[in-house]
Amino acid sequence: MSDAINDEPAPPAFPEDAPLPIDVKKTHVAAEFKHEFPLTTCRIDPTGRFVFAGAEDLNVYRWSLSQKKNESDKPAAKTTFSGHESWVRSMDFSPDGQWLYTGGYDDHIGIWRADDSQPKPVRMIEAHKGWVRWVRVSRDGQLLASCGNDNLVKVWKLPEFELVQQFEGHKRYPYAVDFHPDGKRLVSFDLMGVIKEWDIDSGKELRSMEAKFMWGFDQKFRADMGGARDLRFSPDGKTLAVAGLTDVTNAFAGVHKPMILLVDWDAGKHLQKLKADSYKGMAWGVRFHPEGFLVAVGAPQSGASGVLWFWKPGEDKPFHTVKLSHCGRAVDLTPDATKLAIAQFDGKLTVYQMTEKVAS
Amino acid sequence: MRRDTGCNAIDHAISRRALLAGSAAATAVGVAGKVLPAETKQLKTQQKRILQVFLQGGLSQLESWDPKPGTRYGGPFRAIDTSVPGIRISELLPHIAQRMHHLSIVRSIDIKTNSHQQGRLFMERGRRAGVFPYVGTIAAKYLAPKTASLPGYMHVTTRGLDDNTNAFLPAQFAQLKLPGAAAPENLKHSGKLTADAAKRRNELRRRLSQRFSGKVGQPAFTDSYDSSYTLADKLLAKKGLFEGEPPPKELERYGSHPFGRNCIVARKLLEAGSTCVKVTHHGYDTHAENFNFHLEQLAEFDKTFCMLLDDLHDSGMLESTLVLIMSEFGRTPKINQRYGRDHWGTAWSMALGGCGIKPGVVIGKTNDEGTAVADREVDGRHLFHTYFRALGIDTTDHHDMPGRAIPIGDPSAEAIGELLA
Repeated sequence: MSDAINDEPAPPAFPEDAPLPIDVKKTHVAAEFKHEFPLTTCRIDPTGRFVFAGAEDLNVYRWSLSQKKNESDKPAAKTTFSGHESWVRSMDFSPDGQWLYTGGYDDHIGIWRADDSQPKPVRMIEAHKGWVRWVRVSRDGQLLASCGNDNLVKVWKLPEFELVQQFEGHKRYPYAVDFHPDGKRLVSFDLMGVIKEWDIDSGKELRSMEAKFMWGFDQKFRADMGGARDLRFSPDGKTLAVAGLTDVTNAFAGVHKPMILLVDWDAGKHLQKLKADSYKGMAWGVRFHPEGFLVAVGAPQSGASGVLWFWKPGEDKPFHTVKLSHCGRAVDLTPDATKLAIAQFDGKLTVYQMTEKVAS
Repeated sequence: MRRDTGCNAIDHAISRRALLAGSAAATAVGVAGKVLPAETKQLKTQQKRILQVFLQGGLSQLESWDPKPGTRYGGPFRAIDTSVPGIRISELLPHIAQRMHHLSIVRSIDIKTNSHQQGRLFMERGRRAGVFPYVGTIAAKYLAPKTASLPGYMHVTTRGLDDNTNAFLPAQFAQLKLPGAAAPENLKHSGKLTADAAKRRNELRRRLSQRFSGKVGQPAFTDSYDSSYTLADKLLAKKGLFEGEPPPKELERYGSHPFGRNCIVARKLLEAGSTCVKVTHHGYDTHAENFNFHLEQLAEFDKTFCMLLDDLHDSGMLESTLVLIMSEFGRTPKINQRYGRDHWGTAWSMALGGCGIKPGVVIGKTNDEGTAVADREVDGRHLFHTYFRALGIDTTDHHDMPGRAIPIGDPSAEAIGELLA
């Protein structure tokens, strides 16, 4: 509303702290944290203070995002979360960022205080018979969903961690789950490209859809290759994004192409199959940016040409691409969506800023 | 498919049967409650034989016999205790873990090649180079009774390579490859040909072959030609082995997948008198998604193999059957960017048991990260000697070939004495 005395718009209260506008084409490395083992996943906590990564040494690590790339010659300080007996490929947080939940290939979900200086698991829950492949906290923080190699999707009440629903129906491993933003529904995606929608209250299966092109049967080796490597609803719940693979020609050599599938959720229709045609490998992560584009990371079949893609829904090709130092295995956004973190095969946890550089 | 934790109702049923098999009242009770055929009873006391399970593509030693959880290259799987105190194997083999007292492990194999073909040939021939007979051919030649009612060396596989398995030995000892559990093609006579006519026709062919062989002087060719008819005849007489669907309970135990069905046929062949039966399980060449694929492949292998092992044990045949679980090599400790492991002949493992093998033994070890053999290095030569010493064959002896004597085993190596019972 205009002011009768001064029609000029009011300047920001603290112009030096005002967020810079997103300019994807100026994406640059803002921080880089190095670990000795390949990383398996990463997440930024909801307060934006920390970035967490799982590693092939069975631990989860935490770095402070306030550390800068060139702050000193010493490696950035990291805090170790040790307690799983296998790899962690999925993590999530309580909405206030106080609690970290880790899904391990040791069948357990770990519950941790996210900002502990000397972290120890508060609880380790045997959640599945077989790998816990995915954990996801509902937007209101009341529930946690998990899926595992017992082919089950489970819903747990927080903070008690009491099992409130168990969904049976996947015939092969469910790889990932996500809550619909309406809080009433849950979606899961399995090895064979089967997508299931579940009603959380009634425990019933609402829908089953297929994305068989994100699965392949290797005739020579008689093996199935597929599954979601990441799964996300758009904030409005209208679109589901699935990161994974397509066009499997040799599963055992990893010969396939990356794919991001967008599903019109209400209509149950495939909106778009995003492929980087000349690129062979896997799409390992995807996020909806609040400004309407998609951020995704990929790893090549061979070589070190990991990639960060920026895609606009409706367009066939990424509108911007950033080459990574090695294979990207997960991506996450900061709460203000100005930065993103990528977990890499070469042990690097790289933080990119999607704005112009600010002089330090 | 969920990971098999090795504790299902059907397995408890097997334990119960095994218990019964130990009682005097149950001595005549064999697998699945059937009365053992007379042929099997005789077999179990007289003939020695080999069951060779080949995990094609290269089983990961770190996901099987030599797990190193929590180390740099250990991967995501844990190690579990076995029925032998002190021996721990991968959690992917829970059924074998319960039966470890029947098996031993060699953890220190270095064959110095990462080639599928060279690795396979070395492990089969016991020679690093040159054309020598395969394990199965040696078994067929030296262990098969002259009156054997089945070909001596049979390979059940859904796909595979055609190898020169018999090398310089007569073709009758070559591998006969069966394309899975189904009856081989063309096993039946043409509808118009009576059994009697077929017999007379075969006799005429045999006489002509003899005359041809004598005149032209190339007996090897006619032997080969002749032996293919002989093998076909033997198979024809046993075609019942391939007919009909296995009983549901058997499929429940072994699995209804191709490997399960192949192992059911393998057991029938061994019970019916075949001297070496090789079963190949495909799908271990995991350059990508090594962990997901080993999870699936080993779940299939572990349970199915153990059902076969139980049946051999319950029928009393295990003590006269050498059981080999082998590959052409192992897989790299280093995990590549596709979560895969690559070819690795430098430090890997196999398991064996049964006839002549001391059970519950671990031979050799690798270093802490599994990147090299740390103790008691062995290769295909030592293993080859060990197999046949266990079966009572003197591998320092020679193949008696016209005009030449060829050592059965490579003279530059010896058997692994600590493994021999």
